Amino acid sequence: MTAMAQATLKLYSVLAKFLPPEAHQNKMAIEVDETTTVGSIIRTMNLPAKSCHLVLLNGIFVHPEARAETPVKEGDSLAIWPPVAGG
Amino acid sequence: MNDEQFHRYARNMILDEVGEEGQEKLLASSALIIGMGGLGSPVALYLAAAGVGRLGLVDDDVVDLTNLQRQIAHTTERLGQPKVASAATALAALNPGITVETHPTRLTPENAAALVGAYDIVVDGSDNFDTRYLLNDICLEQGKTLVSGALLRFDGQLTTLRPGRHLDDGRRAPCYRCIFPTPPDPDTVPRCAQAGIFGAVAGVIGTLQAVEVLKELLGLGESMAGRLLLYEGKEASFNTIKLGWNPACPACGEGK
Repeated sequence: MTAMAQATLKLYSVLAKFLPPEAHQNKMAIEVDETTTVGSIIRTMNLPAKSCHLVLLNGIFVHPEARAETPVKEGDSLAIWPPVAGG
Repeated sequence: MNDEQFHRYARNMILDEVGEEGQEKLLASSALIIGMGGLGSPVALYLAAAGVGRLGLVDDDVVDLTNLQRQIAHTTERLGQPKVASAATALAALNPGITVETHPTRLTPENAAALVGAYDIVVDGSDNFDTRYLLNDICLEQGKTLVSGALLRFDGQLTTLRPGRHLDDGRRAPCYRCIFPTPPDPDTVPRCAQAGIFGAVAGVIGTLQAVEVLKELLGLGESMAGRLLLYEGKEASFNTIKLGWNPACPACGEGK
């Protein structure tokens, strides 16, 4: 069996509770294929879409409207922040 | 500048990038600080210490015991006082040579334009999205620079907004709505009261905001405009990402 292609998902602040308990540094490996997009990962991980306020792919801002068609490929790093407004 | 001021600001002025001219500029400058909490406290203290000549403080809340683990402009003795009055006491003790104006009110669509219009630069240390969007829109109308910070749990964010204007490299500057087009549902937004805040994280982000305000007032160094700093306290990591103007932005997009 060949290993699946993997990318990294990082979830911050209150979204960290969606990570598996063994996750370290807010980070987990996710399996990706040619159909994987930012939007599909948000759905598969059961992340509340409204809590995915700031999305970065390899450190580059992904506009909310572009999430559905932005592919996530092997080796990519996807970071998601919830709304942060505390002062 | 009198003798007392010359001594007080000596360590600023010895910096070539500031000098006596820069210090005079700070003394002649004004800043409006929204929220006198975890972010507003260090911002106000450092801007007062640096000699920003006139500070406006906006907050409608009173000092509560649960504030004191991070809101360092306030004291146990001043519990129950309006936050703006408590902070004004702290600032007067630190630097009696500047003017502090207290506005014991919430920022509202009715009062925002007059408040923002009366100061050179605006600092967002508020604790809610309504205020953040309102400030962006008023600063867009008035062409004001807005140094924005936000906190949650162990993490923080910082950016400088020049809504409707340009970055130092000539590109259009993004506004808050370019990055976050629509306000999140209030029920998806945890506040410090529910989610918690690791107190000193407020000091990290608030102090960075003070640095950025002073840089903007002096025209010094690289602006945070067009960049967003993400701080993760648990990992002790700082990452800066680039942000661009969104031509489809509902506030400052093409044709607006």
